[in-house]
Amino acid sequence: MTISNRHLTGPLLAMALAGGSLLPAGQAAAADAVFVLPSSQAGAPALDPIRGSLVTLADALIYDGLVTQGADQDFYPHLATKWETTPDGMTWTFHLKEGVTFHDGEPFNAETIAWWIPKFAGTENAYLVAGIDKVEVVDAKTVRFLMKHPDANLLYNLSSGFMGIPSPKAYDAEGTNYGVIVAVGTGPFKLESFTAGVESVLVRNDDYTWGAEVAANRGPAKIEKLTLREIADSSTSFLELKTGGVDAVIDVPSDILPQYATLPNATIKSQSGFGIYYMPINTTVEPFTDVNVRKAVALAINQQEIVDKLFGGKGLAAHNFLIASLPESKVDPKYNISYDPEQAKSLLEAAGWKAAAGGSRSKDGKPLTVTLWSQSDSEFKRLTEVLQAQLKAIGVNAEITVFDTSSIRAEYKKGTQQLAVRSYGWNNADILDWFFSGERLGYPNVSMWKDAKADELRTTALTGSKTLEERIANFVTYHEYVLSQYPFAPIYEPVQTLAFNKDRITMPEVIAGPQFSAQTVLDIDVKD
Amino acid sequence: MLGYAIRRLLALVPVFFVVSGVVFLVVHLVPGDPVDNLIRAGSSPEQRAEIVARYGLDRSLIEQYVTWLGRLVSGDLGTAIVMRRPVATLIWDNLGYSLSLGGLALVFSAVAGIAAGAVAASYRDRWIDHGLMGFSLLGSTVPTFWLGLLMIMLFAVQLGWVPVSGARHWTSLILPVLTVGLGGTALVARVTRIAMIETAREDFVMLLHAKGVSRWNIQIRHVLRHALIPVVTILSLRIGLIIGGAVTVEYVFARPGLGSLLIRALSQRDYPLVQGCLLFLAMAVMLGTLLGDLLQAAMDPRQRDEAIR
Amino acid sequence: MSRTHPLKSLMLLTPTPTSAVAGFALVVLIVLAVFAPWISPYPYDVQNLSIANQAPSALHWFGTDDFGRDVLSRVIFGARTSLSVSLVSIALSLSGGVVIGALCGYLGGWVDRLGMSVVDITWFFPEILLALLIVAILGPGSQSTIIAIAIAYLAQFTRLTRTQIITLKRQTYVEASLSMGAGPLHIMMRRLLPNAIAPVLVVAMLSTGNAILLEATLGFFGMGAQPPVPSWGGMMSTGSAQLFNAPWVILWPGIFVALSVVFINLFGDGVLRALDVKARMRTQ
Repeated sequence: MTISNRHLTGPLLAMALAGGSLLPAGQAAAADAVFVLPSSQAGAPALDPIRGSLVTLADALIYDGLVTQGADQDFYPHLATKWETTPDGMTWTFHLKEGVTFHDGEPFNAETIAWWIPKFAGTENAYLVAGIDKVEVVDAKTVRFLMKHPDANLLYNLSSGFMGIPSPKAYDAEGTNYGVIVAVGTGPFKLESFTAGVESVLVRNDDYTWGAEVAANRGPAKIEKLTLREIADSSTSFLELKTGGVDAVIDVPSDILPQYATLPNATIKSQSGFGIYYMPINTTVEPFTDVNVRKAVALAINQQEIVDKLFGGKGLAAHNFLIASLPESKVDPKYNISYDPEQAKSLLEAAGWKAAAGGSRSKDGKPLTVTLWSQSDSEFKRLTEVLQAQLKAIGVNAEITVFDTSSIRAEYKKGTQQLAVRSYGWNNADILDWFFSGERLGYPNVSMWKDAKADELRTTALTGSKTLEERIANFVTYHEYVLSQYPFAPIYEPVQTLAFNKDRITMPEVIAGPQFSAQTVLDIDVKD
Repeated sequence: MLGYAIRRLLALVPVFFVVSGVVFLVVHLVPGDPVDNLIRAGSSPEQRAEIVARYGLDRSLIEQYVTWLGRLVSGDLGTAIVMRRPVATLIWDNLGYSLSLGGLALVFSAVAGIAAGAVAASYRDRWIDHGLMGFSLLGSTVPTFWLGLLMIMLFAVQLGWVPVSGARHWTSLILPVLTVGLGGTALVARVTRIAMIETAREDFVMLLHAKGVSRWNIQIRHVLRHALIPVVTILSLRIGLIIGGAVTVEYVFARPGLGSLLIRALSQRDYPLVQGCLLFLAMAVMLGTLLGDLLQAAMDPRQRDEAIR
Repeated sequence: MSRTHPLKSLMLLTPTPTSAVAGFALVVLIVLAVFAPWISPYPYDVQNLSIANQAPSALHWFGTDDFGRDVLSRVIFGARTSLSVSLVSIALSLSGGVVIGALCGYLGGWVDRLGMSVVDITWFFPEILLALLIVAILGPGSQSTIIAIAIAYLAQFTRLTRTQIITLKRQTYVEASLSMGAGPLHIMMRRLLPNAIAPVLVVAMLSTGNAILLEATLGFFGMGAQPPVPSWGGMMSTGSAQLFNAPWVILWPGIFVALSVVFINLFGDGVLRALDVKARMRTQ
């Protein structure tokens, strides 16, 4: 592969489209596949996990990490074959796999890790290794982390896409341009070309034999050449799958999912959820300063109707703040929030909001009208309109305002919001801290909720836990307290839906991992 | 003529400074900032403060503007905060895509529009006039995203002649060019038609008739030439569209381009990138206008700006 | 100098049957928009999720949308939003543009340079980008959309008027008026503007259609009328996800958009001819 002069790549690529491909699009050679990346992974400017703010499937295929996370949220060996930690949590020892090499031929060993961890300093991802004080090379295959404080979240961070390990030689050589033309890791695929905002073209790493335990196929991938395309419009990706231009659409938005059912060659597969849709309630603004009014609004949400009617029965009704597969979501059932319109109405009556003939409520002459903020994606808008109707059913008039993502954050910081519709995509309980910490009022703490007891429980869970079990227990306690104060209403846990062309590729029965990632791609085969 | 051109070029310099100021101000008027697009779950308020300081976002607006302007004048457009690459590189990488789509679409609009308008004017009020004008409306009565989707449905899905989306093969340019081009055809056709009808009534045309010049000759060589003046105005007005305006088409057809880059930069509040793109757009349009005006002046000396007294 | 009787002027506005029909159709649309609450069969915001995405039937002539709302009612209320936004914004834009353009074209010199520089700044940027920027600053809602669209189209009216004025001000009849001692305002109103206005009006007519489309595109990017208030553009963008299993959701607003624009253009043609005739009568 020739690397053209960097300065001419863009326009030349455009002008030389005639020579771009001898085959008209839609007809790939055997063992080639084209996937559409989820919209959440769109727009990455480079494939640089250390400095980047966004990692994509391409990163997951080019780079390997020390550990991998399975669909059960547990951690499995990958480039680290086993690990130990001292009871006080201040030392971690990782044993590394033998015979691993980077795409550029460089060896992977303990020296690599010693080079790698300090590289995070000064980047936006530095927090991932904030707990590590020193990295010690014990021998070529053993490395030790000496911690500043116990970090029960270390394995989670190590399994993150941002902790894929690049080749030190290539990384240092390219400097700030790393990740655009050159991206070298130990992963099952090598980078052929990368065009930001358009596509990443990857070719198989034939020397790959060190796949993670969770994958059935640990050797070289079956796909020879994989193109990962970014397509923003869901109708366009649908049409591409229909015409055979792409072989799989990795994340299908719920509003267009019914159309995929009309395609004879398409199969839909679901993976359990990775996030929650919820409605934060501003605890500092009338009428929501009263916890009972908050509770009333939370109970007005008919989660199951939303699941059935809006999302075709797919996904789960959410009853608390965490996804169902996380152990910290298993709170005492009495704290879970479910639809109960009668109780909602009586709570409002008790709080002084009397219903008039038409159903609208008022108190001392003031009507119960609140603002309901939302973002401009189609999924949000649909959900928001249904919520508006459900709130109306208990006598709350909600006025919708739709903002774009960045404006809404600025608005949240002003603190004038009442209700909003938001979502997050995260599979760790520390998301509770992120959205409800008293130190981050406005955004991301849209509920403007500051509570001394909550902060105390939060700190214990985050930094006071020495082991994973302790952490889980502490987070459950924190979670339960949060639920009891109703700073939000849970709505829906979406499934991650994948659509693929069954005439072109085979997909493993069960999709591995918390998200669609390298483990699954290794098992995908291209039919002739 | 050359003097006029140089005067106009020099006049662009103060405009450049004014535009840079307006762009900076407007971008900072928009609520929100880039830092929230950089931090993710897990980082602390201290980290946020540190990022703010690193990009100089805590300094006064004037200070930030002067810093930016200073770098601009020495040719440095800066580095995008959220996208992390040099602004100039990002613009350059996307420019080719925008130019190919926009340029071809402009050519299409011009050719199809002028042809349709000229024929319609020549056969004024006959069925061919109504037919052409009606047909040219097709592109401008439906939103581009809708037209694009319909085109894909017909030509890519039903007929399978071209790919649905993307930018890898030259055939993937066809539908986007048609979609954007059809949008401009109606306007060009109408203005050409009206202008030709009006010009045809002018004295010098009657003179040519009287001299026995053939009707075809008159229409093409004289009437059309004069009628093209407002058409050139219209076309030069569309230069901005070439470079940044095909946003919905880029979205539907999954193509990169300056428009999409700017939208993404705006939604992420990536100040240096938004400013750089807007400024680049403005400069390109300024130069394009200049070109259009020079063309007009060449065709019609009345266009040179002198006061009536 | 003769003056045309006002009634005769009105009749002259619709010289052909086509433009008369178009004008009448426009009036119907406007009536639909104004009297929407009384004409539409259902309210536009009542949801009924169990009958979502149903094909047109006797109960729902245009079918139902994603939330089980009646599409016909939403199209009628959408006429309100889309028509008012586009008409108001273009009217604003046209008036502003003609005034500034005429002044610049007539006076020339530093007035011209200053005026055009200010206006040109808006015109460096494509409508959609400009509109998105302005809406981002002003916040969501119909008011911001109107202002954004008005500013987006200001430059074209200004430039075109200016070009026309400059072309015309050297005509012999203008010099004749001047030599007879006519003041600049008289020249502007009687001689220049009536003759200059024709292409500008054509552009304004087409622009109303463009404004409807720009509003639709803003809706596509999530700006514009706030839910559940319907606008044709908003209906088309949210409905595009149901393009295959419920095409009526996008089909009907799209048809109404197209029809509105076509009627506007046909009627505009008629007005143009009328002006044409009047102009000819003036110069003879």
